[in-house]
Amino acid sequence: MFSRMAPRGRSGLGRSLAELGLLLLAILVLLDGTVLSLVAAISSESDTHEAKPVTHKNTSKKSFPVLGIKYDDVSVPFEIALWVLLASLMKLGFHLIPRLSNVVPESCLLISVGLLVGGILKLARDEVPPVLSDRIFFLCLLPPIILDAGYFLPIRPFVENIGTILMFAVVGTLWNAFFVGGLIYAVCQIAQDQYSDIDLSTIGILPCLLFGSIISAVDPVAVLAVFEEIHINELLHILVFGESLLNDAVTVVLYHLFEEFMDSGSVSAVDAILGLVSFLVVALGGVLVGAFYGILAAFTSRFTSHTRVIEPLFVFLYSYMAYLSAEVFHLSGIMSLIACGAVMRPYVEANISHKSHTTIKYFLKMWSSVSETLIFIFLGVATVEGEHHWDWIFLTSTVILCLVARIIGVVGLTFIINKFRIVKLTTKDQFIIAYGGLRGAIAFSLGFILHSEHKRIFLTAIITIIFFTVFVQGMTIKPLVELLAVKKKNEAKRSINEEIHTRFLDHLLTGIEDICGHYGHHHWKNKLNRFNKKYVKKILIAGDRSKEPHLIAFYHKLEMKNAIQMVESGGGSKLNSSFPSTVSMQNIQPKIQSPPSARPSERVLPQLTKGREEEIRQILRTNLQKTRQRLQSYNRHTLVVDPDEEGFDDLFLKKRRRMELDWKLKQMTNYLSVPRPQGSPTMSRARIASGRNTDFIPAQQKKGNKQSSDSQAYVKPGAENVPTIQIDLASPQSPDSVRLLDEVVQDQGLTMSLPSSSRGAYKTSGKDDGRDQQTLLRCLSDPGPDPDDDDDEDYDDDEPVPT
Amino acid sequence: MGSSRSSLRRVPDGQQLLQETGFSAAVLLRLHQRFQFLDKDSRGHLRSEDLEAELSENPMGDRIVGAFFQPGQETVDFPSFVRVLAHFRPTEKNRTRGGEQPEPANSRNRKLKFAFQLYDRDRDGKISRTELLQQVLREMLGLQVTEEQLQSIAERAIQEADLDRDHAICFDEFRKSLEKVNIDHKMSVRFLE
Repeated sequence: MFSRMAPRGRSGLGRSLAELGLLLLAILVLLDGTVLSLVAAISSESDTHEAKPVTHKNTSKKSFPVLGIKYDDVSVPFEIALWVLLASLMKLGFHLIPRLSNVVPESCLLISVGLLVGGILKLARDEVPPVLSDRIFFLCLLPPIILDAGYFLPIRPFVENIGTILMFAVVGTLWNAFFVGGLIYAVCQIAQDQYSDIDLSTIGILPCLLFGSIISAVDPVAVLAVFEEIHINELLHILVFGESLLNDAVTVVLYHLFEEFMDSGSVSAVDAILGLVSFLVVALGGVLVGAFYGILAAFTSRFTSHTRVIEPLFVFLYSYMAYLSAEVFHLSGIMSLIACGAVMRPYVEANISHKSHTTIKYFLKMWSSVSETLIFIFLGVATVEGEHHWDWIFLTSTVILCLVARIIGVVGLTFIINKFRIVKLTTKDQFIIAYGGLRGAIAFSLGFILHSEHKRIFLTAIITIIFFTVFVQGMTIKPLVELLAVKKKNEAKRSINEEIHTRFLDHLLTGIEDICGHYGHHHWKNKLNRFNKKYVKKILIAGDRSKEPHLIAFYHKLEMKNAIQMVESGGGSKLNSSFPSTVSMQNIQPKIQSPPSARPSERVLPQLTKGREEEIRQILRTNLQKTRQRLQSYNRHTLVVDPDEEGFDDLFLKKRRRMELDWKLKQMTNYLSVPRPQGSPTMSRARIASGRNTDFIPAQQKKGNKQSSDSQAYVKPGAENVPTIQIDLASPQSPDSVRLLDEVVQDQGLTMSLPSSSRGAYKTSGKDDGRDQQTLLRCLSDPGPDPDDDDDEDYDDDEPVPT
Repeated sequence: MGSSRSSLRRVPDGQQLLQETGFSAAVLLRLHQRFQFLDKDSRGHLRSEDLEAELSENPMGDRIVGAFFQPGQETVDFPSFVRVLAHFRPTEKNRTRGGEQPEPANSRNRKLKFAFQLYDRDRDGKISRTELLQQVLREMLGLQVTEEQLQSIAERAIQEADLDRDHAICFDEFRKSLEKVNIDHKMSVRFLE
């Protein structure tokens, strides 16, 4: 195949790759199918093998078995691992074929694979293992997906639209359930297909309502799978997705309600009222359980500063416990999981280390991805297995009724909701919401555990609906979104401007609402925020981070991202955009005043001239100093002083200047290979000089004199812009060094901002500086507490010491 | 509608204000009642202390109050009060207006201009770094942050938005930096619909 393709050139090669991928896929499917059946065959064989040696023992001495097969012991984990491997390989395979994954959403492909595998298994063994049992599904496969959704739920749009979401989830689902259930009952009574062997009119109203309640719920797994690929705007995404999450409470209540009614045989008004009460209990109870566990998790994370390695474990365990506890009481497990994740996230993220945060994020994504894949494959397998009852009338009417119910429900509800919304939902939005109401595996599992006598026909109908929504609606929604020109997701990251202005507008709106005397949206949000800041954060967040305003945290995140980007991009020519401001304010400014190459769209700092660079290198070589004891001096408690007190302004300016230069040099040294410093008199003096920063200030305070020479104290003679500052001495090329620095900073509760502000006009150079500096250094020759002592505690336990 | 019409006569320049601001009569009446409530001494106009009393906890309180007063004036009468609040009326999407009509107070542009003026207290058409830094950020963040952090944030903010490199943010740059934010939603108070 290759020899034929190769001469055709690049496109031929690409096509051959795709074909190769397809071939690979097919091989994988066949392989796994055969392996599974083989494995099953072996397991049955090994039983017989075991029997034989027993008889032989009496007659002859058994030779030592060098190689044997004992499959039973490992059968269950083996099969599980094989299934997960199959799922992951499938996922891998799909993404190797870009054309396919663009047209067909992943969920459809996975179901098809499931069908294939199920078919192979059935052919090989004439029976398919029931893999999608409800226990596996509800206890193992569903929680990771929901936790992933809940933990990363965008809180702001969710809460802003909570009214709309609740309307759709509760009222919409109720409407769907009763509409479909009632009308299907009517259809059953009226119509009768002479080819089907089941008498439809025997299906009572209650089973029909039960059936209606099962298939009326929009499924979060399917919605996630499909919507993730179409990238629509945030509002629509959160509406459909939020609805799919919150309707779980309704589904649970309706399901149990109708099941109870079916068992008891009669319905009374009291039961109906109890049903309503039970709905409130289920929903609110689930949320409370989740919130409780969330707060526990947040509180636990406050103390994990010494055991960073198991931080992610706490997050996962508490969430899972929340889910299981809710399930114990028949409360809504999904809502509990969402509440737990959403409640604990802000506090946990403030407490845990950066690496734990990454771990949590990637584990959640990985688990939810695998779960989703497995669910769809098992759905395919389960379709092949089990008897189906194919009744055309029932099936077609179910599909039509579902669609109609959804459309009427969405349109009707939107009409009512738009009266209360500021940003109205347009017809296009309504269409997407209606069209995005996909059913999925939850409906299937609920149908699976039915005890009804009509289980088979219900199950067939459920599977048909699922297939219809996933295949037809899933595949066509992407082109429809393009066709209708629905607004897409805003991919750009938030800038600090947006953050500042958004907060500003929040305050403004709160103020306006206060003036109007109106207790609106912003008023309560403001109250909640203040309560949060005053009490909750103090309890749940460790150390000084509890006082850190959100804007600062955001700013730090941005700066850290920039720093990491810069280190990883390597090379000294393109420095990131925060850079120009520091350089611009320095004496190098005149040269860079009118950068010809910098266009407004591209914030590229022009290169430093060779001479400047050489100078800097020179300074660095003579003035290196360890990082750690430097950090010591930036303890927040000594930094934050009352700004009203006199004489502190220039101290701040000094610190600021030094910090920004620290940072600049640190960045530059990543590209300069600077050896780790050993002892040297200039260095120890430098160390003292800058290390004594914090001690210097209190001394200032005591003396009460403003030595104007202070402002030049840190200016090295001969270098207008480079004071004696420490350099980050971790191996220059490792990005870990940057992260380590910031992480240590954060662990100590420091909020050392990466300075980018101007140095102002304090830059002077010349001989005076040199003299003043010498005198100053001599003054400071008393070292005070040994800076080396602080080194050890600054290192994280699990951090590798940079070499 | 009849009863509110009659009580509308109690509102000074009621009809004209209805036209100008686009408020409904009911809302205008509510605002008038509120105005009278705030105006404790029944003087017919408000002083800054009256408004500040409501905004005691708001970090931007005095800035907001300042926006109600025209430069140089000490008092706010009802029409000015209403005109300022008109900026916060939710926008109607479907309304088409003729070209000769003046831009309604609650259009996106006017809302942004109002917000811009809150930043730009000295009304020179730009938000300079000191304005942003000393005043707005300091107000919002209080005493929890150090001077350096404020400087860094202000510097970065200006630098991100500043397209013409004059180290200040003019109105166009301000508008551009907020183009992704749904101003119609963020700057509307449902009460005033």
